[in-house]
Amino acid sequence: MTVQSPPAPPRQQPAPGGVTSPVPGPEGVAERGRQRVSRLTTSLRQTPGQLRGILAVLVVLTLGAGVTAMVSILGKNAVIEETTSQSGRLSVAALDLYQALSQADATAASSYLTPGAASEEVRDAYREALRDATVALTTAAGEVETSADAQLVANLNAHLPVYTGLVESARTFNRLGEPVGATYQHQASTLMRSEMLPDADALQHNAIDQLGEARESAASFPWIPAVLAALALGVLVWAQLWLTRRTNRVFNLGLVGATVAMVGMVGWLVLVSLASASHTDRSHEEGADPLALLAEAHIAAQQARAEESLVLIARGEDSKAEERYTAQMELLTGEDGLLAQLNEAYGDDPELADSLAAAQESAGTWSAGHDEVIKLARAGEYSAAVEMAVGDSEESLATSFDALNEQLTAATEVSADRFVDATGDASRSLSGAAAGLATLCLLALVSAAIGIQMRVAEYHA
Amino acid sequence: MIEHRSTVSRDAPKRRLRWAAALTAGLFAAAACSGPVSVEPPQVDVPTPLPEGIDFDPDISTDPADESCDPLASYSPGSVTAEQARDTLGDQELLVVGISQSTNLMGYRDPSTGQPTGFDVDIAKAIAGHLMGDEAKVKWVPMTSGEREEAVNSGTVDMVVRTMTMNCERWGNVEFSSEYYHGGQRLLVPTDSGIAGLADLTADHRVCTGAGSTSPKNIAEQSEAQPVTVPDFNDCLVLLQQGTVDAITTDDCILAGMAIQDPTLEVVGEAFSEEPYGIAFAKGNTDLARYVNGVLETMRSDGTWQSIYDTWLAEHLGDATAPAPVYQD
Repeated sequence: MTVQSPPAPPRQQPAPGGVTSPVPGPEGVAERGRQRVSRLTTSLRQTPGQLRGILAVLVVLTLGAGVTAMVSILGKNAVIEETTSQSGRLSVAALDLYQALSQADATAASSYLTPGAASEEVRDAYREALRDATVALTTAAGEVETSADAQLVANLNAHLPVYTGLVESARTFNRLGEPVGATYQHQASTLMRSEMLPDADALQHNAIDQLGEARESAASFPWIPAVLAALALGVLVWAQLWLTRRTNRVFNLGLVGATVAMVGMVGWLVLVSLASASHTDRSHEEGADPLALLAEAHIAAQQARAEESLVLIARGEDSKAEERYTAQMELLTGEDGLLAQLNEAYGDDPELADSLAAAQESAGTWSAGHDEVIKLARAGEYSAAVEMAVGDSEESLATSFDALNEQLTAATEVSADRFVDATGDASRSLSGAAAGLATLCLLALVSAAIGIQMRVAEYHA
Repeated sequence: MIEHRSTVSRDAPKRRLRWAAALTAGLFAAAACSGPVSVEPPQVDVPTPLPEGIDFDPDISTDPADESCDPLASYSPGSVTAEQARDTLGDQELLVVGISQSTNLMGYRDPSTGQPTGFDVDIAKAIAGHLMGDEAKVKWVPMTSGEREEAVNSGTVDMVVRTMTMNCERWGNVEFSSEYYHGGQRLLVPTDSGIAGLADLTADHRVCTGAGSTSPKNIAEQSEAQPVTVPDFNDCLVLLQQGTVDAITTDDCILAGMAIQDPTLEVVGEAFSEEPYGIAFAKGNTDLARYVNGVLETMRSDGTWQSIYDTWLAEHLGDATAPAPVYQD
């Protein structure tokens, strides 16, 4: 380097020992290190050395900004991808599973009550619920990424055939008119309630937690690349002012180009981050949040329905089932219950308001009807109680329960569509950003290098 | 030397450039990919369905039974008329009877007809026939065993006919009729089990019974078998069919209601406890108790009791005759 340095500025002679000594001893090595440091400090006192120093700082800052920006954009993209693929699919599957299992249990229990053979409709509903549950289990099995989740899926898989076996035994004994059928149905519901639903619930919570983490990282602002890029810009501007003073030339085209590229990069990064954050927030506020509440409401309704049937299956002699019914109903229709929360949060939403209001009304009708059913059962009017609970008349609890289900499903569909739309928007807002930012960063790098080299070259001329 | 150094100096920037390019490419490439995940294969226990509240190691009460009274001694019929007895009812035109809806053969709501049936139900119908003049003037109120005493004393029902064992503790809360069925604790086992009675039970046998009754205490005192308790004794039948337990023990008439549902099960051995069943009335309502005792006398002598027993219980418990009444006055 010293050889090529222009002669114009005053320069020190290289120390003769370090360069000419043919066999450097141990002192020579240390000497050489000192010389290298002194060469560097010397060159930094000269303009070309200073220019190279500026270039080195710019390279580090620009490269740092580019790489971290690309990492953060790719990370956001992966996370958004994940909410629509892995953890998204897992949470949807876990929710579907939970709902399908609750529905299977509610249907099995209420069909046990129907005198004689259960209707085609009820049998189909049970079979559909089981199909949904197995499909959801299969999906979940393919998406799990932690040992804990795999354990939950395996437990559920092991229990489901045992559950269906108990339900079929209950049906067979019921057809034979043997009272033990009721006990089998009861045991099936116990297995569902105490083993399977908690596992499905845990799986769902794990998936929702993963979604929540994804939301945070997708919506977070990329501070590191932004700061690095701002520093790079600062150095660029300062370097140009400094060069102007040194060389009396106003513009260095290379550095101007680098500045423009960096400004473009910072602007793009900020815009893209804000846009994806707002879409991600929207996907949760209008999609995932109401979806989770609606699913909980759905599940509470199904479980309350199952317990209601168990009360009647046990001929009104299962006070614990009645307590569990009351607890689920409280969860659903209580003052701070799920339906109240939903109405509070989304009652102003034109697409959801009607369904939610109707759902609350149906739940009220059902709850009032249930009290009537229990009164009948207590008074010994067992057949009338069963008819009111599972019959197909207008006053039947089955009617208001089905209506509640339909309204919750309608609201769920609206929220699910919104979730898909918003995550799609978030993903689209990031498209091309990683490649674009990397290109701008490289452009800035090359421009700065050219601009600086042009000045350095003048000293060699 | 100068020459040599100059070649180094000319090559160095190129090499540095290559390094920088490689580093940059490497950084961007590293940024673009992430690693795969691996999940351990899960371990799952064999799923065994169990009823809620099952206890494989129940605390066996060691309190001595209350023997301060003669639990069989009721009120002699005397000269109470049907009219006097009806005056004690909540509704003169309707006899309200507390029953079980879930105890097969004793009190059970048949889902196909919706009507309650069984030994207890037929006894209550026969009483209604005498008291009300019409067996149909009965209103059935299903209840759990825990609700029986409160139901008669609060007036919810006029009487309770629900597999209720007379004992001194209960005599303190309600009035009882004379004994209308003499029950005892026996064993229900699979026909090919080789268990013929209490003596064949070993410490390896699990015997299922209802919690909160005297059955676990009786089996623990008289055999080495491990008692297993469940909140509802109906769960025992499912556990026996699933092979979780080896035998069931409770009152013989309840076992008969289980045996009739499964041809591979049988009631075996001698009774190893005394379970005198009585009809319960509100504390102090001795008029109704006396009248019903009169009706029970008639049912014993005119063969009504025998035909009800033969209809429901004889098939699985063998022949029996009505227990003789004991009166305290």
